[in-house]
Amino acid sequence: MLKKMKINNILSLIILIFASFMVLFPVAWMLSTSLKTMQEMFVTPPRWIPQEITFRAFARIWTDYPFVRFFYNSILIVSTTTIVSLFFSSLAGYGASRFNFKGKSSFLVFLLVTQMFPSVMLLIPFYRVLNILGLINTHLGLIIVYMAFTTPLCSWMMYGYFESIPKELDDAASIDGCSKFRTYWQIVLPLSLPGLAATGIYAFIMSWNEYLFALVLTTDDSMKTVPVGIGSLVGQYRTAWNDLMAVSLVASIPMLIAFFFLSKKLIGGLTGGAVKQ
Amino acid sequence: MKLRSNVKIVLFTLVFVLFSIMSVQAVTLEVMDSVIVESPEREALLQIIENFEEENPDITIDYQGVPMNDAYAQIPTLATSGALPDVYLATLDFIGTFEDMGIATDLRDVFSQEYLDGFNQNSLSELTVDGKVLAHPFFVIPMGVLYRIDWFEEKGLTPPETWEEFLDIANELTEDTNGDGSVDRWGFAMLASRDGSGGSRFIQIFRTFGGYELRLNDEGEYVTDVNTPQGRNAFEFFTELNTEHEVVPPGPMEVSYGEALNLMVTNKTAMMVTGPHSIGGIIERNPELDGKIGAFPLPMAQDGGKHISVLNTYGHAINPDSDKKEEAAKFLKFLVNDESALLWNEMTGRMPTRTGLLQSPEVQDRPDLAGFVEAMDYAEPLPTVSYYSTIMTDILPSAYQSIIVGQATVEEAAERAEERIISLIEEN
Amino acid sequence: MKSLFSLKTEHKYGYIFILPVAAVLGILIIYPLLYGFYISFFQTNLINRWNFVELENYINIFSGNSEFVNSIFVSIKFTSVVVLSHLVLGLLLAVILNKKNLPFKELFRSILMIPWFFPEVVVALLWRWIFNSMYGVFNYLLMNLNIIEDKITWLSSMRGAFFVVVFTAVWKGYPLILVMILAGLQSIPEELYEVAKIDGANSFQTFFYITLPNLRSVLLVSLILDTVWWFKNFPIVWLMTRGGPVNATNVVSIDIYQTAFQSFNFGKASASAVIVFFICLGIAMIYKSMITEEEM
Repeated sequence: MLKKMKINNILSLIILIFASFMVLFPVAWMLSTSLKTMQEMFVTPPRWIPQEITFRAFARIWTDYPFVRFFYNSILIVSTTTIVSLFFSSLAGYGASRFNFKGKSSFLVFLLVTQMFPSVMLLIPFYRVLNILGLINTHLGLIIVYMAFTTPLCSWMMYGYFESIPKELDDAASIDGCSKFRTYWQIVLPLSLPGLAATGIYAFIMSWNEYLFALVLTTDDSMKTVPVGIGSLVGQYRTAWNDLMAVSLVASIPMLIAFFFLSKKLIGGLTGGAVKQ
Repeated sequence: MKLRSNVKIVLFTLVFVLFSIMSVQAVTLEVMDSVIVESPEREALLQIIENFEEENPDITIDYQGVPMNDAYAQIPTLATSGALPDVYLATLDFIGTFEDMGIATDLRDVFSQEYLDGFNQNSLSELTVDGKVLAHPFFVIPMGVLYRIDWFEEKGLTPPETWEEFLDIANELTEDTNGDGSVDRWGFAMLASRDGSGGSRFIQIFRTFGGYELRLNDEGEYVTDVNTPQGRNAFEFFTELNTEHEVVPPGPMEVSYGEALNLMVTNKTAMMVTGPHSIGGIIERNPELDGKIGAFPLPMAQDGGKHISVLNTYGHAINPDSDKKEEAAKFLKFLVNDESALLWNEMTGRMPTRTGLLQSPEVQDRPDLAGFVEAMDYAEPLPTVSYYSTIMTDILPSAYQSIIVGQATVEEAAERAEERIISLIEEN
Repeated sequence: MKSLFSLKTEHKYGYIFILPVAAVLGILIIYPLLYGFYISFFQTNLINRWNFVELENYINIFSGNSEFVNSIFVSIKFTSVVVLSHLVLGLLLAVILNKKNLPFKELFRSILMIPWFFPEVVVALLWRWIFNSMYGVFNYLLMNLNIIEDKITWLSSMRGAFFVVVFTAVWKGYPLILVMILAGLQSIPEELYEVAKIDGANSFQTFFYITLPNLRSVLLVSLILDTVWWFKNFPIVWLMTRGGPVNATNVVSIDIYQTAFQSFNFGKASASAVIVFFICLGIAMIYKSMITEEEM
């Protein structure tokens, strides 16, 4: 019995190691490329460890391209989007979980249906809406657009999480004379931190990585975001792989760090969340 | 009380700011194009703008960049919301659509006929639809073949006249230079990608075989020669460079403009179909190649073929809704005046559009440009129909790719391309 | 107990709470959707030409020379392989990571999540660089392992390119399914497994009779979302192959993008988008009926 367990474990470890290798080798290649000089990038056969290691690409992304500004834009837009869409979708999730109202199930289905229209066809209508509101080339414009992408699923996730929290709590609170909003804000929300964390990470990643809309809805260079900046390194005229890899690594680090600290919470948050509808 | 004085201060400041703005009366001209996002084009353009603003202190230029590939989505999006800037890029791909959408001023109302006559007429006609001049030509990039002078000299080769000679040269230059048993240098950097950079180059090679992908016949209707003997020969020759003769690096369908340039920069290939603008880019990244790169006009097919060059005219359209047309005209004129155009040409290799300048010694005598200057004699404009970009970026690339991967024979691919082009002509 | 007497206030509170989300979606999803439906009946450049053509756009996209039908098939093929791989990988890795007393579990879990953090733009370009026919490191890796003898031109053959975009999509997308399933697994009560053990069930029986049925709702949501997302995915394929070679990877989003922004035929593009919308809706309904049926 014990032996069987061991064999089983060894097999599992082999699978995990192989999978990790498949994940890590491209990342290692990314790092290797970012440390190469222009000439060495195109050497065949390619070298894993560059003969001449240079950190110039990491300097260039700040000096030769406006990535300082792009990071500022991205951080501002994405963190605002995350916070506001967390707030909105926790409201919606709470409302759908705690109250019965006409059209509730249609609302929940509708949240999923929003995911089904090809996004390339949303470009022009989005532009028109933002233009009417005077929000082209503003942070607020992109924040609103990203909220349209993130809130449907975030609401769905929060709805699931609230469903896992016993409703008796609310009843007790309302007996104590709490208003509905206070019950949500002071009693239920603090209990939902894991769910909020999971949903927040999801919203953050989704908007941090968005490319197409940021590209079309910003015409001003100073308003572009990191993915658009990365995309522009693959111009029609050149592809600077080393700079591209350097900035991609830098762009992923914030999320890697966030995830290392939050990974337990994330899975815990989903446990109550998306899982229990 | 305190609040009120604050309000007063704010009001006062506002009025003051307003007055100071009005007293200068500076006009801001919004310009959007794609060359500003390239290097060294950016530096050249910024310098021209600086000169312009110095000369015209009442006009400020607000320049916005958009990569060429993204302009396809961005310009219509802006147009449908009425949010286009005063001046924006215009190339052949766009010009038919601009006319259709009514988003380009007919420049005959803005510039004098005499001024317009001063442009190279081929370049002007690439920006003209139904007699309306819809954009102001900024520069042309006549296509030819870039080649490595040093390698040609080493082997005692001279620039070819025909594709047969071209193939011999390509064969000769394709070799294993370090003796490890595998080829590491190829004769030709072939672009067979599924986009405009592959398609536009193929169109010129295609035309040197004597046929036209799209032309007006005697009755004034559009027809295509893709499925004629000349057309099929062109497909066959082009694809066999890869499949039969193997004088191009493996994986040509992954090679778009940027990749092809890399092949030249890293000494992997000897020749490449492109324009003079590539020289600067290559030398910037591999300074050792300075002086080692020359150009010759596209070779031609032996029977029935001819030399051809496409100009790839790049211009600017003026927004019909703009109330700054006069300033826009002033700026566009400044872009192509002698001083600007020579600076532009020297820094970027892109050729001027004013006939006077094209003949100037500064342009004519540059050895690296000589081949392109010669190529301009063979220039023919491309048709300005709104569906042309579908032919260039989709139909023709699909055809040559299907032959290369062996999905279709030359005949099948040519037939399919013909069907698709005819149905496009009929739809419009 | 929901009290019947407070129904009205309940309604009211429900609406108040969902109002912000409903408002955002109302402006930014419903309007674009209706707009899309509307222009699909026109031949239009969206500015000065609005010819009402009834169903002509819909008829055109199904006509002989249209790439649309082919691109739907490519998308279906692409999506089914990608989603199936996500599901298999996600289940396998999640079951392993859910084991007790497995060393370095947390480290592995973190590593395996990494692809989720990279923007699609980066992922697409990274793998294109790795699979490059000339300089790509993948060929050399396989050559060093003696799996292949000569370089393979991955992105220049129809099968190779299809394989590469699928591979990239699998690499990028499996972590989301993995997390969802992992979360689902952790919510299955321990007692169920203990009971099964007492009853003498082997691990396969446990997996099929306890684990899978309890994952049903997670699987439903994840599968629906994963399928519709990848069915409509644009950046990865666009940046890697532009739909080529020929039309081997010409998924439906690329067809729509080119119709709209290269041929500027917005009516036809919208008609295609509407069809895709209904296909996605259909897929969601099929999943739902499949998974709820098993529940019986």
